[in-house]
Amino acid sequence: MKTIRNFSIIAHIDHGKSTLADRMIQMCGMVTDREFKDQLLDNMEIERERGITIKSQTICLPYTAKDGTKYTLNLVDTPGHVDFSYEVSRALASCEGALLLIDAAQGIEAQTLANLYLAMENDLDIIPVVNKIDLPSAEPEKVTEQIEEDLGMDGDTIKLCSAKTGKGVDDVLEAIVKYLPPPEGDPEAPLQALIFDANYDPYRGTIISCRIINGRLKTGDNIIFMSNGAEYKVEELGIFHFRREPQKELSAGEVGYIIAGVKTVSDTKPGDTITLKSAPCADPLEGFQEVQQVVFSSIYPISTDDYEDLAAALEKLKLNDAALTFQKDSSAALGFGFRCGFLGLLHLEVVQERLEREFGISLILTVPSVRYNFYLNDGRELIVDNPAHFPDPSTIDRVEEPYIKATILIPERYMGTVMTLCMERRGENTNYHYPMPGRIEFTCELPLAEVIYDFYDILKSVTQGYGSFDYELADYRGSDLVKLDFLVNGEPVDALSQLVHRTKARERGVRGCNRLKEEIPRQMFKIAIQAAIGGSFVARTNISALRKDVTAKCYGGDISRKRKLLEKQKAGKKRMKTVGNVDIPQSAFLAVLKSDQ
Amino acid sequence: MLDSYLSSHREDILPHGLYIHIPFCRSKCDYCAFYSIAGTNLPIERFFKGLHKEISFYSQRSSMANREFATIFFGGGTPTMLSPSSLVELLQLSRNIFDVDDNPEVSIEVNPATVDYNGLLTLRRGGFNRISIGVQSLNDEELRLLGRPHCVAEAEKTMRSARRAGFHNVSIDLMYGLPGQTPSQWRETLLRGLEMEPQHLSIYELTPEEGTPLARRLAEDVCHLPHEDEVLEMMDITVRECTAMGILRYEISNYALPGFECEHNRNYWRAYPYLGLGPGAVSRLNIRRAANVADVNAYCESIEQAGVVPVEEEVLDDETWFREAVIMGLRMLDGVSISELHHRFGINALTYYGEILSKLINDKFLVIDGDHLHLSPLGLPIANSIMARLV
Ligand SMILES: Nc1nc2c(ncn2[C@@H]2O[C@H](COP(=O)(O)OP(=O)(O)OP(=O)(O)O)[C@@H](O)[C@H]2O)c(=O)[nH]1
Ligand code: SF4
Ligand SMILES: [Mg+2]
Repeated sequence: MKTIRNFSIIAHIDHGKSTLADRMIQMCGMVTDREFKDQLLDNMEIERERGITIKSQTICLPYTAKDGTKYTLNLVDTPGHVDFSYEVSRALASCEGALLLIDAAQGIEAQTLANLYLAMENDLDIIPVVNKIDLPSAEPEKVTEQIEEDLGMDGDTIKLCSAKTGKGVDDVLEAIVKYLPPPEGDPEAPLQALIFDANYDPYRGTIISCRIINGRLKTGDNIIFMSNGAEYKVEELGIFHFRREPQKELSAGEVGYIIAGVKTVSDTKPGDTITLKSAPCADPLEGFQEVQQVVFSSIYPISTDDYEDLAAALEKLKLNDAALTFQKDSSAALGFGFRCGFLGLLHLEVVQERLEREFGISLILTVPSVRYNFYLNDGRELIVDNPAHFPDPSTIDRVEEPYIKATILIPERYMGTVMTLCMERRGENTNYHYPMPGRIEFTCELPLAEVIYDFYDILKSVTQGYGSFDYELADYRGSDLVKLDFLVNGEPVDALSQLVHRTKARERGVRGCNRLKEEIPRQMFKIAIQAAIGGSFVARTNISALRKDVTAKCYGGDISRKRKLLEKQKAGKKRMKTVGNVDIPQSAFLAVLKSDQ
Repeated sequence: MLDSYLSSHREDILPHGLYIHIPFCRSKCDYCAFYSIAGTNLPIERFFKGLHKEISFYSQRSSMANREFATIFFGGGTPTMLSPSSLVELLQLSRNIFDVDDNPEVSIEVNPATVDYNGLLTLRRGGFNRISIGVQSLNDEELRLLGRPHCVAEAEKTMRSARRAGFHNVSIDLMYGLPGQTPSQWRETLLRGLEMEPQHLSIYELTPEEGTPLARRLAEDVCHLPHEDEVLEMMDITVRECTAMGILRYEISNYALPGFECEHNRNYWRAYPYLGLGPGAVSRLNIRRAANVADVNAYCESIEQAGVVPVEEEVLDDETWFREAVIMGLRMLDGVSISELHHRFGINALTYYGEILSKLINDKFLVIDGDHLHLSPLGLPIANSIMARLV
């Protein structure tokens, strides 16, 4: 155990975590040059397309230190985006140490702080690493100073490197084995293995990722999931290289996988403890903190026949995405589906894309909403995260909506712009201080509903990319809500409804109509789009009928091509939802929230 | 079962079309995405021999034994890049090898200034009885813009020569919706075209095809297509002016004096069988659709060395074929015959499409007229959107 190091790489988004992981993997000789590609650990299609990490990813690296000692490093690359901090917190729970990366050109940003605090809460040893020192705009001295003063870390432990060129990465590796502690735990104690992630394989059942805290586990052992008592026999276990690498045994301090023919998807729960049937441990491990979903939206299959498949897909996806919640839902316009809870809009988009790509189901997601508290005249209390459940306004005594406490880091010169943005979004109790010369840490309490959609994008654009943002849920405060409905050719489309603050309702109605006009393609009929609050119309626009197609000539040689073009057009139509006689594309349901910027 | 129905269904009783593709042009037009090559040193002689061989090859094929050809069409490219006597020779050869109707429609496409009076006379005497002239526009400025290698006067001269050479079934091709074109400019071109007294016109909207010089110029904003309203007006003008001359629209982009509709093309829209020869030509016989390799040199090489033409094949499943027949048929103004479709494919279109179709009929985009299903005046301009529901 003395030669094992379990650590995570944590940082603000884009500071180079995955790239540093690449260099370490190469330096440990895990891949040939031919197999190598950038951000190796970002193996999901969406991660590669978007250039960001979404899932934490573990890899086991053999490392020979400068003094000749051979170590086993279990490296966890984590995501940096604010929506995925739950991934970070789970990763940290299986580690003793963390590398905190800071971009030498950007300095400390909002998630640098947030992730540092997470690591501290988990009692981890931390090595600050200033990355991207190769950049012409890098200011390593200044950033080092920031780390010492602002984060209160000891200057001696700070390492400088370029994950891109590899410079300094050898020192980082040495620091890991030197400064980070080996795991504790007793290989002779009863087995306690913490499940931190899982994946579904149609042939082998769930592939469970776990950290052995105490005890040891071998192939053939009978195991018990402590949360529900389910019993299985271990078919295979091992460690993560690029592929799964079977081993005879996993013991305390190690990180690896278990395959035990678990076909009942719901038996595997991240955070659960696995123990041995023959010698069970007394108590389960603490597990993970319940994560709080902040955005809710309903998912419907475009083709109603896909409902059962969607149900199965959600179960399997949840294994790999512990932060997702779902329950049955139905809509007049869209049929049967699921009401889902997400950690943010990016999380929502990722779930949508994964369901479509990994499970081949085309989906409609309804307008996202936060969760409101309604207090009714008769004394009842109602929690509503779905506009469809908006109570009759005459029965409402008062409403509360969730507020967040936002922390925004910006260069001083953007103070005015950011202040204005927060005011537009109904911000309260703004406050600021100067953590270091030239930079402002701005705090503000904002209704969550005002930030979920595009706040971060707009913050980025008004600060030319220099602003960064983190938030935590604060409390619920009084609000004045109305339900805004959209009608397409006179038919209300429940999936487009939203709950909005009364002062913003009309503006949202007008904007929503305009967005729908942009998103819905012209069709064979004129389409009227209206926005209404409690039965009175607040906005209207029309989409004129399609008047002509380009119908070119078509003779013998063109028939096949022509047919294929039409088939493609037809397939495109299948990705739309028909409401009344209007085909509404998938994108329209999210677009109604988009602001004008 | 449908399968056994189709395999037992004999297609040979239907009239067949024979298409021969000549892949050469004087120069490449700026909007053209057809397979043809232009330039100097074209392998015309080699191609002629290759095609000769491809045709002759069918004399040994029993698969053609029971098939009767009602129409022959020499298309391109520009068929008149071959000498008239060569074209006549190829026609004669085809008539000797294939079972051709006694009174076939034999068409040839010509481009202005590629054939003169004597040449046209040779063609007419050699058995061609229908001619289609690639006029495209009757405005010199527009012709330049399209990169056409001829002028208006040459187009009109080719028309006069064709008449004098004894062609009584002449078609002209015209295009509207050209960059910068106004509805009144289009009317001028159309009227001037009608003054040429063709029996038939193919009139279509310019479609910028990816990869063509014209598409590039449009993408670079060097020129602009007319606004949708203007194009709609041009479509209106077209129908109005042609009708006034007694020339009726019988297909989305084809107009003719009654009795002068192009039989060969109508065969395609009726999903009747056809055999295509020459590089890039397509055949559809029963459920097999095959496209000859679209490269003159590869075509010649293979014919010379192996005696066969490489093809790219597509096998249509029964329903795809049926649906294809429906969408092609709807291009014609009198549409498809429901009983004929049923007879040929064993599928009843009305029950097969069910609600989709009844909705289109209720909404007046399609009309049921006795046994015929066809596009309504409301449906014609948006034919694609309608076909995309039925494909
Ligand atoms: N110049 C330079 N660029 C770097 C360096 N390290 C990373 N980058 C670049 O920074 C960008 C982000 O790198 P990633 O490794 O994907 O960042 P990340 O921290 O994993 O990002 P998330 O997973 O989305 O939080 C990429 O374009 C990298 O090529 C470095 O040392 N120098
Ligand atoms: S003449 Fe016809 S085939 Fe030849 S280049 Fe012009 S458009 Fe294309
Ligand atoms: Mg990453």
